[in-house]
Amino acid sequence: MDPSRAASTPSHGPPGDGGGPAPEFPAGLRVLLVDDDPTCLKILDRMLRKCLYHVTTCSRAAVALSILREKKGWFDLVLSDVYMPDMDGFKLLEHIGLEMDLPVIMMSSDDHKDVVMKGVTHGACDYIIKPVRMESLKNIWQHVVRKKRNELKELENSGSVEEDDKHKRSLDDGDNASSGCVGNWKNAKRKKEEKDEEEEEMVDEHDDSSNTKKPRVVWSVDLHQQFVTAVNQLGVDKAVPKKILELMNVVGLTRENVASHLQKYRLYLRRVSVPQHHSRYDAHFGSNQEVTYNSIGSVGGYDFQALAASTQLLPQNIAALHSGSRSATNTGMGVSAIDQIGFLSSGKQVTNSSNIISSSVQQINSRQMNDIRGPSNNIALNQLGQSQQVVQPFGSINQQFGEGTTKFFGLPSSELTNFSLPGGTINEQPNNSLARHMNQHGQQFPISQQSCNMDITWQGLPHSRGQLLTETACHDSRLVSALLQQVPPNNISNHVSGRLETSANMLTSLPANYMNASCSTSPQALYPDVRNSFIIGLAGSCYPPVSSIGATPLTGSVKALSNSSNLKGMDNHVPDYDIIDEYHQNKSQDWKLQIVNLPYQSGQDRGHGQSTIDCRSSLMGNQDSTSTAKNVLNSNAGTVTKNIISTRSDIDKEKRECIDQHRTNLVENCNRVNYDGIPDISYQDILFEDNIITNELMNVVRKQQQEGIGQVDNEFNFNPPV
Amino acid sequence: MALASHRHISSCLCSIHSSLCYSTRPEMERSSLQRQLANLKKSLFDQGNLDEQFDQLEELQDDASPNFVEEVVTLFFRDSSRLVANIEQAIEKSPRDYGSLDALVHQLKDSASSIGAAKMMKECTVFREYCDKRNLEGCLRSFQKVKKEHSTLRLKLENYFQLLRQVGPAEKATRSGN
Repeated sequence: MDPSRAASTPSHGPPGDGGGPAPEFPAGLRVLLVDDDPTCLKILDRMLRKCLYHVTTCSRAAVALSILREKKGWFDLVLSDVYMPDMDGFKLLEHIGLEMDLPVIMMSSDDHKDVVMKGVTHGACDYIIKPVRMESLKNIWQHVVRKKRNELKELENSGSVEEDDKHKRSLDDGDNASSGCVGNWKNAKRKKEEKDEEEEEMVDEHDDSSNTKKPRVVWSVDLHQQFVTAVNQLGVDKAVPKKILELMNVVGLTRENVASHLQKYRLYLRRVSVPQHHSRYDAHFGSNQEVTYNSIGSVGGYDFQALAASTQLLPQNIAALHSGSRSATNTGMGVSAIDQIGFLSSGKQVTNSSNIISSSVQQINSRQMNDIRGPSNNIALNQLGQSQQVVQPFGSINQQFGEGTTKFFGLPSSELTNFSLPGGTINEQPNNSLARHMNQHGQQFPISQQSCNMDITWQGLPHSRGQLLTETACHDSRLVSALLQQVPPNNISNHVSGRLETSANMLTSLPANYMNASCSTSPQALYPDVRNSFIIGLAGSCYPPVSSIGATPLTGSVKALSNSSNLKGMDNHVPDYDIIDEYHQNKSQDWKLQIVNLPYQSGQDRGHGQSTIDCRSSLMGNQDSTSTAKNVLNSNAGTVTKNIISTRSDIDKEKRECIDQHRTNLVENCNRVNYDGIPDISYQDILFEDNIITNELMNVVRKQQQEGIGQVDNEFNFNPPV
Repeated sequence: MALASHRHISSCLCSIHSSLCYSTRPEMERSSLQRQLANLKKSLFDQGNLDEQFDQLEELQDDASPNFVEEVVTLFFRDSSRLVANIEQAIEKSPRDYGSLDALVHQLKDSASSIGAAKMMKECTVFREYCDKRNLEGCLRSFQKVKKEHSTLRLKLENYFQLLRQVGPAEKATRSGN
């Protein structure tokens, strides 16, 4: 179609043919032209106007970026020169792709194959050789259409984001699962309601930011939960989108949605380095990473997703999930306990998790967490303990954790800062609370997005942690840290530590590879989430996160926890869940303990953990179970416990328990991260230092990390001491 | 040949100018001018100074932007002179810095391509190749050629536009008839 013939002249452009009222596409296409050469700029500008496009020119890439940022969604297409003095055209291309996801066309008189290839690999939609002819420009609209169609397709399948948001409440299954938005999960949860809404809305905005943007399916917490459940049922490694889709049985969800989500989830899991089951989380996390939790607003679901992704279901969830039937949710949750937390952070994430977390968080908060931000922990916990079973006790822990975790997970919810990473079990019940927390905290936890490396938040951000967590892809670290920190802070520290210990053990037990692997592999986002979740679930699923936690400033137990949890939680969410689940199955409550036990092989602080766990068992609810859990955990993680221990100190036992459990789960799943590095570090102290769960957790983690892990500076490098 | 035609055109312009006063045979003048214009343009193309991109530019010109081509060309020469000076400076100061030299030449090439300055583009390409081979002499030689072509083109196009102006708006229609 010849744009110049388009009817109706758009508001801009030459008087054109005038014709019908509404400019027929592509007339009116809003193009941003970037070229440092004034001659070219003038010529192209003229050509584009002749095509009846709406042109905005700028000669510097930096200016172009700022224009794009300012007017998000205003532009449909970007045309950029390759060689520019201030910024390389490819760099600009990357930025645009990451931030705005607009179609970008590169131009240059350089027609060497390698340069053209570079354009392709960097994501350019097209590469035009200069001198540019009118004919070439006449058809650039096709890229916009194509992109829109792809997005729409996705959206349609899962429903639009907006709808999701609106649906939040009504959507329980979080249909519109989209790889990108977790927000919907939240919707389902609705508990958070406000949060969700906000988050989801944010998601919407986020999604709308680029107008033409994608019709992403919003993977709300619920939806994600379902997803995770389905994946767990099928087995992480064996899960195929088709079957998952069938299992999920969500209206409007397409196989493609599931496939991409699965991919992300797997990445997440990998990051968490707990290869076991929770590849699902990976998927989530993977996607989350990029999701900046910041947009947590949208997080409700979306960010949460990110969070979730990173945290992918807090270990709680994992654990919780594992608990058995919950698997669906739990696993989703469990693994994503962290994720969830992360998700929660994102707001919507797994509704379950979030709920759990929120609830747990709340619980935790109420219980122990003095500072616990409150629901966040729970949320986190919830998240973690998606499995309801665990969640319960965890609830409180969760709260704490939730807060912490949320933090970890970057839950947008500030509340969650205390996300004491629900060891994972927090999940279930408090799901809502947790989730909520998570969400809230989730916001806080941008999850390491920012820090990318665990370093984040742990350091002390009680709330900020959450945010941090959410922020970065590093979520993992954050989460962990958040979790860890959170854990400690609140009384849970004990619990946490206990749990952490376990998780630490778990973590430690987890092969360092795991953690590292996961840490390293998973894009930071995962990590933070993982970490958080991990912390919760430190269950030792080889979460490198534990180590990573160390990496991140998590210092101390948190690290351990986070590491383990992260590892476990995050990537391993899936796998961890298994572990955790196992535990949970027996005792959801024990879960907490279990967590402790699990990883807590190292027992160092096991005593702590255990004791603390008991103390706080309120969260966990099962002191006894703790012991059992411990045993269990021990078996699994062993080393993780170390982490737990550290976290323990600070975090309420519950927290710990949650974490531990989570960890254990994680650990079990992954392989026990050898958290050697972390152990001993009084994670507990570290973790539990802060009252705020998040803080505590974070601290713990950090400390642990710092002390033990040390290496974690970037993302979970922890190399589990083993 | 081109120069000859320039002179020819100039003389024609003079004569036209004088004859215009009388407007005795405006058509004849105009058509003669047009012919000159066409010839000039043709020579530019034949000589390889310009390529079809220039036609594109002319196509872009319409009532909304009546002097588009001239504006662009003016802009081009202003910018390219700056670039040429930069290259010159770079060669003097750090002739071995082929990387930055290459970047500058690339810019010049991009610019030239946008208006269809074919010959200049070719010379720039040669220049870049020498840069890749780190052949300083080759670079210097080709740079000289670039500069020469740059000034030649500038002159030719200046004449062209002058003639164009002489021919007046009525010419616009015929101008495209290259």
